[in-house]
Amino acid sequence: MEVELIEIRQFLEQRNPFNYLSQELLDELPKDIEIRYLRRGSTFPPKEGYMYIVRSGAVEVYDGEGELCEKIGEGDVYSVTCQLVNLSQCERGEAVEDSLLYLLSCDRLKALCRNSQAFNEHFSSSVKERLKSAVTTIQESDDPTVAAMMVEVGSLIRKTPITVESGMTIRETAALMSNKDVSSVMVMKDERLVGLVTDRDLRKRCVAIGLTGNEPIDQIMTPDPETIEANTLTAQALMTMTRMRFHHLPVTREGKLIGMITATDLANHQSANSAYLAADVRKAKTVADLVDVSGRLPNLHRRLANASVTARHIGEAVSCLTDAITGRLLEMAEETFGPPPVPYVWMAGGSQARHEQSSHSDQDNALLLSNDFRPEHDGYFADMAKFVSDGLHQCGFVYCPGDAMATNPEWRQPLKVWMSYFDRWIESPEPKSVMLSNIFFDLRPVTGTFELFAPLQQNILKKSQENRIFLAYMMANAMTHRPPLGFFRQFVLERGGEHDDTLDLKHRGIVPITDIARILTLSLGKEPVNTVDRLRACAGTEALSQDMAENLEDALEFIASLRIQHQADQIRRGQEPDNYVPPDNLSELEREHLKHAFKVIQTIQETMVKRFGADKLG
Amino acid sequence: MFTRFLSKEQQRKRALSKVAPGPLAEYLGTPFPSKKLNCRETEIIAIDLETTGLDPGKDDILSIGMVSIVNWSVQLSTSWHRIVQVDKAIPGESAVIHQITDDQAAAGSPIEALMPEVLKRMAGKPMLVHYSPIEQNFMSTVCRKLYGAPFVIPIIDTLEVAQRVYERRNHLIQPGDLRLFNLRPRYNLPQYKAHNALSDALATAELFLAMADNLYAEQPCPLGEFLSRR
Repeated sequence: MEVELIEIRQFLEQRNPFNYLSQELLDELPKDIEIRYLRRGSTFPPKEGYMYIVRSGAVEVYDGEGELCEKIGEGDVYSVTCQLVNLSQCERGEAVEDSLLYLLSCDRLKALCRNSQAFNEHFSSSVKERLKSAVTTIQESDDPTVAAMMVEVGSLIRKTPITVESGMTIRETAALMSNKDVSSVMVMKDERLVGLVTDRDLRKRCVAIGLTGNEPIDQIMTPDPETIEANTLTAQALMTMTRMRFHHLPVTREGKLIGMITATDLANHQSANSAYLAADVRKAKTVADLVDVSGRLPNLHRRLANASVTARHIGEAVSCLTDAITGRLLEMAEETFGPPPVPYVWMAGGSQARHEQSSHSDQDNALLLSNDFRPEHDGYFADMAKFVSDGLHQCGFVYCPGDAMATNPEWRQPLKVWMSYFDRWIESPEPKSVMLSNIFFDLRPVTGTFELFAPLQQNILKKSQENRIFLAYMMANAMTHRPPLGFFRQFVLERGGEHDDTLDLKHRGIVPITDIARILTLSLGKEPVNTVDRLRACAGTEALSQDMAENLEDALEFIASLRIQHQADQIRRGQEPDNYVPPDNLSELEREHLKHAFKVIQTIQETMVKRFGADKLG
Repeated sequence: MFTRFLSKEQQRKRALSKVAPGPLAEYLGTPFPSKKLNCRETEIIAIDLETTGLDPGKDDILSIGMVSIVNWSVQLSTSWHRIVQVDKAIPGESAVIHQITDDQAAAGSPIEALMPEVLKRMAGKPMLVHYSPIEQNFMSTVCRKLYGAPFVIPIIDTLEVAQRVYERRNHLIQPGDLRLFNLRPRYNLPQYKAHNALSDALATAELFLAMADNLYAEQPCPLGEFLSRR
């Protein structure tokens, strides 16, 4: 290379995807560049067969209907005309500022692709592959201060696995356990793990019910226990244990049993974890104790984020803890106000119901009461609701600004009234009620008499499936949250070309996906509440292709991970966490991935508007 | 004596009649492009020389940078840059500008070894420079010395073009307004940090694309309108 072209090399080497190229290829690159000037108002691209890099100025690109697709500024790359995989119909545009463009012929681009795999992947991979790799990249980011959370479960295993053969008696098993000083053993049959026995099983399933001890161990074991792979991170193992409420997990490596990990092992290894917090919640005697425990939640959130636990698992961990806190508050309420006059079930709505809470989510809840409820019982449940809601508020789950809480008499009703609510919402929808009721279409029983909930849920799913007008209204409402087009310089680029200073990750990225998943499950009469579970349940149906479901799942994970990182940074700086990210804080790669995620969301929104006839509402 | 009243084409033929066979004769044997050509369809060669001073009689060329505009794009594949061997010590004040040290200059190629390539690259094309007297005078002096005849070439001088733009708009020209790196931002062109013969030639080429497109937006751009009358 002419050393004198070093400035052009330096400009290119900082840009994605040129930063993937080797030093040798970068040295040769400037020689292949052509430079062209476009006056404001000139047609873009000026000629076919080239990719374009904006050196200065700005260019807008439009789709077939003249809608703005993209606005590219300094350092942005436009390669649609060279793309092997055509991602966009946006092939025409104009310079909106006087612009200097660097051109690279598609032939040279293809030659570079042959010489560099990473570079090639940038151009040839599908949206799906890109979002997958985006999710992986963000999970690989590492913070040495939380190295403890990054340890693999396999490395904590000290002892060879203690096992017994299926058919051995309970007594022999107990003798072996006390001999080896372990609290659990695994039961094997033909070198295969068939069960798990713990101290607790010996007490509860044997001694307490008066077995002799001569029965086969198979009778009291937990059959086909969950196992975990040795390369799972401790942080993730904790999530699994908390979620499933297990204390023991057999560990396998490539399917072969290598040992057992217990909650105590993990707690000893890492104290500020959610399993530890969950145990403290159960031990809490007063609301003040609970406040104390939940005060450690932002720190947990931050540490999990640093340990690169997936956004999905963090949402689950926080929601599990909120469930635990709610449950403990209800126990305290019953201790204070006495036993309930009629059966009830405490329901969580919104993000807690979906298992997608963050440490600063507000509370959404409701009380579903037995049909035996009489007006004179309401005083009791009003007191209970106030006690729990105040407790949650003190624990940091602030009051719902929309008053969607059990303290609101409207949301503290017997089953038959709840049934009539949903009938009304579904059968005579109006835009306002749809918006308010959105929260209650993500509904999950937390504590109480779960049997009360089943008929309500069945009724909702049956009615919602049959009612197209309702779905059209839901979809029309979902369209109030649309993703932006992408980014331009330090701004968020909006449809129509407006610029915004910050990106609201929640309302422009996460909410559109949770809305889509909710509407799809309601239209298909599926039960799941968690967004990823919903997408998986609907995947491969006429309404949602397998591919689109996976794209949405990856888009959600990517955007949610960014949000968690953003909030973890804010917590570390002692700021109140929020959802607003200035585009300057995003790397070029993150912007690129976000743009793909937005595109996925936009595509499914447009498909669903047509499918549910939301465009035909007056 | 009366060369300034002759057209460039006539000057070329006159010089050709005097010159001995060799690189300059070959150069002068190539006809100049017609003034009627559309500049967007003409190959134009941007050049910049770094010199030890302003007097071609006393000072030396230190480096030569060239790059061509083909099909109205600057083609970096045509970029060419050479350091010229200079035996004398380089005056400190000029070294500050072009950052060529005595050691680099001593390691360069002698000017007589470089001129055949320079002339070959420039044959039949207009020369694009910012403030042409330096390049014109130094090239002519070298050619007279090496080949016994002057260097004749049609010139596009972006400084002159800028002057015309200012005068047409009745703008008062302030000191420094016409310098290459003060003109570029007016057309939204980036600031290049490097200062060497090639990057200045490139900066001039980009400036010319911008100026011509602004003067002749969406209409043919007649080459003759840009040729220097010098």
